[in-house]
Formats: sequence, C-alpha cells, structure tokens
Amino acid sequence: MAAPTLDTTRSRQGAIARPHPPGSRRRAPDHLAWLAPLLAMATLFFLWPLINVIRLAFTNSTLLRDDYSYTLSTFGQALTDPSLPGVLVTTVIFVGASVAGQLVLGLLIALIIQRAISRKLRGAVLVRSVVLSAWVMPGILIGVIWQIVLNEGPFGLVNSALASVGLAPVSWLSDTKLAVLSVVVANIWRGTAFTMLLLYAALLTVNPDLYDAAKVDGARKLRTLWHVTLPQIRPVLLVNTVLITIATLNTFDMVLALTGGGPAQATEVLALHTYNAVFVNFNLAGGCVLALFLLLASLLLTAFYSRVLPEEQR
Amino acid sequence: MSTTTAGGSGTAARGARPRRRTARTRARIDDVWTYLGLLAVLLFFGIPLLWMVSLAFRNQQEILVTTINPVPDHPTLDNFGQVLRSAQFPRFLLNSAILSAIGACGAIAVAAPAAYAFSRMRFRGRPVLLVGVLALQMVSPLVLAFPLYRYFASLGLLNSLPATGLVYIAILMPLATWMLKGFFDGIPRDLDDAAMIDGATRWVAFRRIVLPIAMPGLTAVFVITALLAWAEFVVPFILLTSPAHLPISVGILNLQGTYATNSTGILAAGSVIAVLPAIVLFVVLQRFIVGAFVSGALKG
Repeated sequence: MAAPTLDTTRSRQGAIARPHPPGSRRRAPDHLAWLAPLLAMATLFFLWPLINVIRLAFTNSTLLRDDYSYTLSTFGQALTDPSLPGVLVTTVIFVGASVAGQLVLGLLIALIIQRAISRKLRGAVLVRSVVLSAWVMPGILIGVIWQIVLNEGPFGLVNSALASVGLAPVSWLSDTKLAVLSVVVANIWRGTAFTMLLLYAALLTVNPDLYDAAKVDGARKLRTLWHVTLPQIRPVLLVNTVLITIATLNTFDMVLALTGGGPAQATEVLALHTYNAVFVNFNLAGGCVLALFLLLASLLLTAFYSRVLPEEQR
Repeated sequence: MSTTTAGGSGTAARGARPRRRTARTRARIDDVWTYLGLLAVLLFFGIPLLWMVSLAFRNQQEILVTTINPVPDHPTLDNFGQVLRSAQFPRFLLNSAILSAIGACGAIAVAAPAAYAFSRMRFRGRPVLLVGVLALQMVSPLVLAFPLYRYFASLGLLNSLPATGLVYIAILMPLATWMLKGFFDGIPRDLDDAAMIDGATRWVAFRRIVLPIAMPGLTAVFVITALLAWAEFVVPFILLTSPAHLPISVGILNLQGTYATNSTGILAAGSVIAVLPAIVLFVVLQRFIVGAFVSGALKG
C-alpha cells in the first residue's frame, strides 16, 4: 500500500531532478527524441536493406560465394528469362482475379451483415467471426487446408461431394488452368475478411438521410447502391483496393503450400518466382532485380493512392 | 422510374393499411434473402474449417472413406497426441509465441512515442514523415529479407530468434504508429496540457495520462500486431533455417513435407492446434478489432 505513493513521489522528484527527459523543450528539436526509436528501426531495417537491394541488383552476386563484381548484365538476364512472361501473366491473373473477387464478395458480405445487424437478425456476428477466422490464419495453413479440401485423393472434400452426386473427380490442383482457379479461390477465401471489415466500417459512416432521400425518389436498391452508397464510401474503397492489391502481389506462402507453384510453374506468381531465384537458384542479384520490380509496382500503387486520396478526403 | 410509379399507384389504390403491410412483407422477404446470404457466406468460409477439424478427429481408415460424413464414426484424439508428442511441433508453437510477443510489444514500444509526437507536436517535415511511415507499410518483407539474409549470415544472426524479432518489430511498427496516432488524436490535448502546467514533463504526461486512457487502443494494436506476427511467413522463412527455431507459420510446411498423404489427419490436427491460439485471441477480442476499424473509418 505504501509502495504506489512512494513510487509517484519518486517519479515526481525524478522529474524535477532531471528537467529534460525525452520531451523537454529547451534541448534541440523536441520531437526527435520521440521519433528516434522509429527512425532508427526504419533506417536499420528498411532504408539500409533497400539501398542494398538496389546495389545488389547491379552485381553478379550469388548465395554460393561472398565476392561479387558490379555489372549491368543481371538486369538483362532477369528480364530476358524465358519463364518471366508466363510468371507475369500468372501474377496479373492471380492479383486481378483475387482483388476483384475480394472486393465484390467483401462488399456483398459487408452489406448483408450490415442489414442483418440493423434488422437484428441472428447469426450475423457468427458469420463475421467465421469470415475473420480465415483472415487471421497463417497463409501456409490456408494452403494446407485448401490442399486437403481440393485434394484428388479420397479425403478431398470437393471431389467427395462430386462423387456423391455421381460426378467424376476433377483435378483441381494438377490441371494447369484449374490450379490457377484453385489458387485464386483460396486467396479470395483468405483475404475477403479485410475488405469486409473496412467496407463494413465505411458503410456505417454513410448518412442514413441519403438512403431515405433515395427511397423518396423511388430509387431501386441496386441504383441506390451504385449512386448513393458506393460514391459515399469511395475513399475507403480506393484505399482498400490499393492495400489488397499490394498484399496480394507480395504474397506467396499460401501458394507455396497449396501448389508449390506448379503444376509446371502454372501458379508461380512473381513473389514466389523472386524467392525461388534467390533460395532455389541461389541467384541473389537476379532475385534483387525481381524484388525491385515488386517494389516498383507497390510504389506506383502507393503513389496513385496518395495522389487520389487527399482530394477525396478534404 | 416508371415501374416504381406503377407499383406505388397500385398499392395506393388499395388504401393506406395494406400498403404498410406490403412494406412489412417486403422487409420480411428481404430478411429471408439476408438469411440466405448469411448462410451462403457461412458455408463458403466455414466448410473448409469444419472439414479440417473433422479430419483431425479421424483415424487412418476413416480418412480414406470417400463419403462425406462430417462427424467421424470413431472419433479419436490420436492425431493430436502424435502432433504434440513430436519433437518439433511444441517447439514451433513456443517459437511463434516468442516472436509474436517480441513483435507486438516491440512494435508498440517503438510506435507509441512516435505516434504521440505525430499526434501532439507540430514540427517541420511532419506530413512527409507521416506519409513516409505509411510508405514503409507498402514495402514487402520479401524485398527486405534478401539483404537482411546476407547481413544476418555474415553476423552469425541467422537462426537467432531475438534478431528475427527485431525485424518483426520493424515490419509491424508502421501499422502500429498509424493506429496509435488515431487513438491519441481522440484523447483531448487539454489533459496533457493540464498535467504539464502542474509541472509534469511531457514524458510523464504521456506515460501517466495519455497511455492509460489509450488502453483500449493499445489492446487493439497489440492484438492486431500479435496476430500479424503469428501469421508472418516470409521473414522467418528466410531468416530462420533450422527446424528448432521455426515458428508454426513456417513449421507446418515441414509437417506437410514430413508426413505422407495417408497421415492427413495428423496434418489437420497440427493445423487445428496452430490456428487455435490466433482464433481464440481473435474471437475474444473481436470487439476491439472491429472497433478499431470502425473508429478509423469514421475519422477518415
């Protein structure tokens, strides 16, 4: 009981004895001490590695030996790699379909849950929890689960279901076209929760008077959605699209566990390709070139986002 | 337009009371659609999870049965026993817990003072720095991991949990900074100003007044960063190589490799155990997370 009192007095005395701990006024810029840990970590783990990724992209370094020399040829080699066009096409399909699917499904679920909660229907929170459970799972696990669900062996859920209605099993993971579809579906399953959460939060901000006005004007539901709801949540929709696009572009854990990039590189997305360049082919410089590619794509999206956002917000 | 007018005049002709009833009936019909929608969503997202849980409780023979029976005839805990008795699996869980704790606590420790400065102080370069922090969020850990792998290798830090934990802190801190800034913005400045007039330093005002009030926000940030750390893949996949140091998010891949397809039950049991901490933490604290998103959107 005496301890807390003692503690406060001590700290007060301490404050008088040391008049200028981190947030003092008289010492040079006040804010720097507060920002110092963040800036130090950002320098050490972002700035420094980024400089080195750029530097290493101009070398011929590999993981097999320590020495390297500077060269421009790695860029040429990485960009003329015969497997790159296929990888890029797969990446565009994977990212495009995943983002489109997550946006549509996420908006739909957000609308359903909002309506269910406003009408006090049961089960909305349960459904939200289940959707969110998918989102908090490690990507590898999601790959493992979908591998089990789509498996062509007897324990594959989808094929068992097909068999029970007399249909032939489908090679979800060993057919090159179907494997891409499987990876996209699994990724939509994984990522929709984020969009749902953001859009659900955004829907709550829409002024209900606008819906009433639309109703008075006799607008149908779809028209209201298109002309009232979507324009109102446009800023969040944009942020959300950019965030999930970047996240999808840079993910490969789920793909690794589900298909391993196969069959025959059919599901090898750029992020996985980049990883393989370094840790399967030991081509560090080539991997850094591809990493710069990924970075550039993310930066362009971010620039687009920061350009569009301010005028939307204020 | 024309159809709605027609429908409206039709109901108006039948008088006021029936119209109210049709409105209510229409709402009922919409309720049915809403329930159907909820059900469809529940099935799509729930069935794979349920199937995994179902497989985890099956014995060898029942896994190979082709009919769909979600509840096995002879439920067994053998798979869980095998997973937990294996040398690696409990180690994976412990490593995940360590890395998540370091990542979440460290990210908050680094982000909280910075978020406070962004929230309370006006200095030159503030807008640029704020956008800069956001830009860090856009940098893929994959890009950072290549050079870090080289440095960690030359410093002998590969397979070091504390060193990898530092990288976790770094990749979690941008999000933590932005979220905490939002929470601090919601706390009136007058409170810390009053404390500072009473003679407290800014640091004391921050620790004694702002942080305790921001506790719900800190909890939300802790939960979200811990969950992200639990699921983090690229950084441990590259910087940790020996099985003894892997977190579960990478280790399960080893499990998938070690066991043949006929022990899918073991893999399923491992998945259930791996995902349980995240889901429990999440469902218990869901209010905080949804709240954090809602408050963020309201401000934006």
